[in-house]
Amino acid sequence: MNELLVSILQAAAVHTGYTLVSVAIGAVLGLTLGIGLSRLPALARYLIPLLSILNTVPGIVFIGMLYILTGMTPATVIIALSIYAMFPVLKNTVVGLDSVDAQYKEAARGCGMDHYQRLVQVELPLAMPTIIGGLRLSTVYTVSWAVLAAMISQGGLGNFIYQGVSSNNNALILQGAVPAAILALILGGLVDLLQKRAVPRGLRKGRDGK
Amino acid sequence: MLRFDRVSLTYGNQKILNDISFEIQEGQFAVFIGPSGCGKTTTLKMINRLIQPDSGHIYLNGQDIASIDRYELRRHTGYVIQQIGLFPNMTVAQNICVVPKLLKWPKDQCDQTVRALLDMVEMPYDQYAHKYPSEMSGGQQQRIGILRALAASPPVVLMDEPFSALDPMTRRSLQLEVKNLQQKLNKTIVFVTHDMEEALDLADIIVFMDRGQIVQTAPPEEMLESPATDQIREFLGKHQSAPDPAGLTVDQFMRTGIITVKQDRGINECVSRMQHHNVDTLLVVDGARRYQGTVSIADIRLTGHVVKTIGPLVRCVTPTVHTGDNAKECFEQLISSGFPYLVVLNGDETVAGIVTKTSMASAMAEQLWG
Repeated sequence: MNELLVSILQAAAVHTGYTLVSVAIGAVLGLTLGIGLSRLPALARYLIPLLSILNTVPGIVFIGMLYILTGMTPATVIIALSIYAMFPVLKNTVVGLDSVDAQYKEAARGCGMDHYQRLVQVELPLAMPTIIGGLRLSTVYTVSWAVLAAMISQGGLGNFIYQGVSSNNNALILQGAVPAAILALILGGLVDLLQKRAVPRGLRKGRDGK
Repeated sequence: MLRFDRVSLTYGNQKILNDISFEIQEGQFAVFIGPSGCGKTTTLKMINRLIQPDSGHIYLNGQDIASIDRYELRRHTGYVIQQIGLFPNMTVAQNICVVPKLLKWPKDQCDQTVRALLDMVEMPYDQYAHKYPSEMSGGQQQRIGILRALAASPPVVLMDEPFSALDPMTRRSLQLEVKNLQQKLNKTIVFVTHDMEEALDLADIIVFMDRGQIVQTAPPEEMLESPATDQIREFLGKHQSAPDPAGLTVDQFMRTGIITVKQDRGINECVSRMQHHNVDTLLVVDGARRYQGTVSIADIRLTGHVVKTIGPLVRCVTPTVHTGDNAKECFEQLISSGFPYLVVLNGDETVAGIVTKTSMASAMAEQLWG
């Protein structure tokens, strides 16, 4: 029993590691690209639909293709998961920046802020609730996608699931699935905490409807 | 202080501004007004380079603003917009300090500024400085909007319909406050509105624009007195100065189209005319339509059977006045005489009309409420 718990915890640790690293890379990429695209609406018009299509490629196919390029390494897993984690953040960054009310942009311009100051002092803070919403989505998704790491023998909670599926052992499947679900809940909760801290107080009031 | 020199702007083939030139003196409160799409807001936004002219020059204290860095220019020009635009992620204090911070003022100077400004509009620092915009009313928010524009003590403040989204009471108190602040701090203010009342109350000088051109530039009194076009007269509407009540004459308030009867007419004709027009008294005139007196149904009933024509029944007691007589004196006469009306005569003694208490009341109402 003890041995089982240790193996679950070990797998969960690997799983969490993949998730956190990928989400971190994906978030940075998504935020950067999102800001870039929101400055270039002409480019965004073509690129966003294209990225949405890429997003629909099943993870299993994508990891499979990456496997050909980078082999059976953790790097394959991290690259694939990072790219998937990037999409929700990217999309929400573009949408969030785009939906900042014109009056704030106008006021910021009128106050004499340059592009960078407007972005950092006004637009990003106002878009933050939306952006973090994207981060939450990508965190929860990545927990489930990280199961695919086991497909190329890179560990994680997917190991139990794959073994369970191939040996028709439901207990083994649950042994992977339940901790993965709990992990998703915990990480999602952490992002919610971040949401509370990162969203300015002035923006929170209205959202709670108070 | 601020001078536009032949400024034009064209979008596509639509001329937004057509060769605009004007000058605003230091410390002046200049109000731009006109129908929507007349170019008033565009003109305003050119002053802090939010919009660039196609041709022409704008000078601020003799310096062409095209040669000033546009961020620097905006940091030294106050800007208040209709939607208020306080940053919802910042407290009142942070909002007020946006521009001083951009100018890299030391922190304690920022704090002092916030205290001094809040003090000026009687919003206690302890109560308001750390509130967020969403926690305040629209009027309070726009007060802070104005303070934000004033924080770095810019010589010129631009205001783009700042009060048009506020309720009338709040608008009124903010107008007074802005006028006070402007005079206290000796700011040059460029103010855009579509509300003539606001313009008349606030302006030292009103610039009336239409279709990208300036139609008239004048102080409020002068614009009221001699509006340049019918359009301006229409905008002035009820604010246009009423004629001096002391100079009013009685013919401006009399009822005309009064029923008269010639003195040689028969009793029967007279009675049927009274019935037809539903009156109990007729004015009697002679052959040359000169006023002779009045005849009443009561007199006809009393003695009508002994006379054939109305001539003998005419009474000549109703007070008469003449057109051109002072209205006030006529009203006094009407009231003190106890008669229900006065007869107003033309110079040749023909009947011009009558003045009743009703026509007097409606004349006064018109003077009062326009």
